[in-house]
Amino acid sequence: MIPDNDQPLPNDPAAGGKPRVTRRSFLRAGIGTASGLAALAAALVPLKDFDTSDLTLGKFLQRHYKELGPAEMDQVLQRIAREVEQRYGVRPELRDLKPKDGVEFVYALHLGRCIGCRKCVHACVQENNLSRLPEMQYIRVLEMPRGSVDVERANHNYDRPQVPDPEHYYMPVQCHQCANPPCVKVCPIEATWQEPDGVTVIDYDWCIGCRYCEAACPYWARRFNFTKPRFTHDANGAVIMNPNMNYLSNRPRKEGVMEKCHFCLQRTRAGRMPACLEVCPVGARKFGNILDPESEVSQILKTKHVFVLKQELGTIPRFFYYFDQEYPRTAGCLPNEGYGDAFPESDGSGDQGRSGSALQGAPA
Amino acid sequence: MGPSARGSPESRLSRRWPSALVGPGFLVLAAWFLYGPETVLVPAGEPIAVDSRLLSIAPRRETLGDPPSIEVEGVRRTCVECHALFEPSVETPKRLLMHAHVRLDHGINDRCRNCHHLQERDKLVLHDGNVIPFRESQLLCAKCHGPTFRDWERGAHGRSNGYWDRSRGQLVRLKCSQCHDPHTPRIPAMDPLVPMPGPRDPRADRGVSTAPHPGAQHPVFRLGGTDSGGSPERMEK
Repeated sequence: MIPDNDQPLPNDPAAGGKPRVTRRSFLRAGIGTASGLAALAAALVPLKDFDTSDLTLGKFLQRHYKELGPAEMDQVLQRIAREVEQRYGVRPELRDLKPKDGVEFVYALHLGRCIGCRKCVHACVQENNLSRLPEMQYIRVLEMPRGSVDVERANHNYDRPQVPDPEHYYMPVQCHQCANPPCVKVCPIEATWQEPDGVTVIDYDWCIGCRYCEAACPYWARRFNFTKPRFTHDANGAVIMNPNMNYLSNRPRKEGVMEKCHFCLQRTRAGRMPACLEVCPVGARKFGNILDPESEVSQILKTKHVFVLKQELGTIPRFFYYFDQEYPRTAGCLPNEGYGDAFPESDGSGDQGRSGSALQGAPA
Repeated sequence: MGPSARGSPESRLSRRWPSALVGPGFLVLAAWFLYGPETVLVPAGEPIAVDSRLLSIAPRRETLGDPPSIEVEGVRRTCVECHALFEPSVETPKRLLMHAHVRLDHGINDRCRNCHHLQERDKLVLHDGNVIPFRESQLLCAKCHGPTFRDWERGAHGRSNGYWDRSRGQLVRLKCSQCHDPHTPRIPAMDPLVPMPGPRDPRADRGVSTAPHPGAQHPVFRLGGTDSGGSPERMEK
C-alpha cells in the first residue's frame, strides 16, 4: 500500500496513537543520554581521590565534645589514637585534660623586650603539630615602625639578616582568647566555645569548615586547613610529630576544619608553660593564672603599663601587652619633690611665680 | 492538517536547535572535566622542617656555679685554689694576666672589688661589706638595679620556665647572670638570630603595602606627634 500524503506520520501525537520511536529520535536521545552520563561520570572523577579509609562508623556517629560521657570519651580517644598511629606511625599519648577550678589563663607579652626572632612561631609549629605544607603558623610577629601602634603599617613577612631592626619594634599576635569572643558567636553549630579556664577551643570532629569564625576574628588568629596537613620526616622517614596530644588542642587536624592557638592546652592544663614562652630567648612572654594574685601575670597586670589590641572592639582579650613604666629617675618626679610646689596646700593665691608664669596674665 | 500543522522546515529547525546542542555540550563538558586544567591547591615541594636546634630552652649563659670554678689547662679549679697563692691587690684598673677574656663594660661600676671579695675569692661583696655566695648574685645586682630587681621578683622581668602551677612542678626563674654577662651586662642588640620564614598562605602572600594607610594619619595612631588643639595655645590665652 502506498501511504497517502495526507495520512499522519506514525509518531505524530495529533494522530492520537502511541508515539513510535524512529531511528532518528532514538539516535538523538541516545547520544544525548550517553553524553550526559559521560559528563556526569567525568564530573564525579574527583571522588576517586576521596579517602574513605578514615571514615568509620564510630567517627561518623560521634557526638559533640560536650555530650561525650567519660566512657564514651575513652572510646573516642582510643579510636583517634589508633587512627593517628595508622596514618602517621606515631604512637600518641592522647588525653582529654579538663579545666581546673579557680584557674583562668592569661598571657602577657613585654613589647619592649621582643626582638622578633620568631622562635615562638616555630616552637609553636613543632609543639602543636601544625601543617608544614601548606605552611601554617598560629603566631604572627608584626614588625612595626617605632612610635606607632598602627597595625596597618605592620609587616609580618619581614626578612632580615639580623633582628631586631633599630627602626622597628616587634609585636607578636596570636589568639587573644577573648572573654567576649566574636568567633564563638558566629559559629552556626557550636563547634567552637569558651572553656571555663578562658581558652576558646575547637572540636575538630564537629567543625564543618564554614570559616565564619575566621572572618569574625579581628586578630586574624584562626587558620583553615585547605588541604590535608602534611608533616616533615626525619632521616629514617618517620613523621616528626609531638606525641603529647590533647583532644581539644594539638591532635592532628583533618582537611576542611579550623584551628588556632589554644595556649598549648596539652601543656598548660598539666601545669606547664606554653611552648612559645619557654623558647623565648629574652623572657618577653609571661603566662599564668590570673585568679592567683601571686602569679606572675597578676603582678604584671597590677604593676605595669598594660594594653590590649583593638580594645575598642570590646572583645576583652586575655592577651595583654605591657611595657616598663618610667622609673622616677629625675629628682622632679619623686613624690614631695618638685610637684609639691605645683600644687601648694594653700588657697593658691601666693606662689604664682613657681606654679607657672603662663597663668599670670589670666583674668581673675 | 498536513504540512501547515507540522510547521515549515525552518521553524522546526529553530525549535530543535537548543536540544541538538545538549549532547555535544555534555561531551565538551566531559572532556573539560577529564582533561581540563587541574586546580592545584597544595603547594608543590617538600615541607620545610622546623630546626629544633634553634629552639633550645636552655639559659643564654652558663654560670660558673657556686663555689665558682673554671677550667684551667683542662682541669676544673675553684677560685681559691689559685688565689690562695697570690696576694690580693687593690690596685685597679689593672692589666690582668689571667681572665683575659673578661671585658668590663658596666658603666661607672668599673672596679673588680666593687663586687668581688678581695680575700674570699669564691664570694661576692655588697657595697655595705656584707658577703654573699655566688648563687645569690641577684642580691648584688639589686643594690643598683632596684626597680629591675623588683620586677624580676614579681616575674615581670626575665625568663621563667617550667610550671606555672607550682603544686605540680617548679617554676624556674632564671637569674640575672643566666642572661646577662655581669661584666658586660648589656645584651648585644644585634644578636645574629636568623628570622624564620613567615606564614605562607593565600592571605599572607598578598603582601603588605608600604604606603601609609589613611588611618595612620589619625591622631590616635600617632604616638610621637602632638595633636592639634593641645594645651600650649590654651595656656597662653
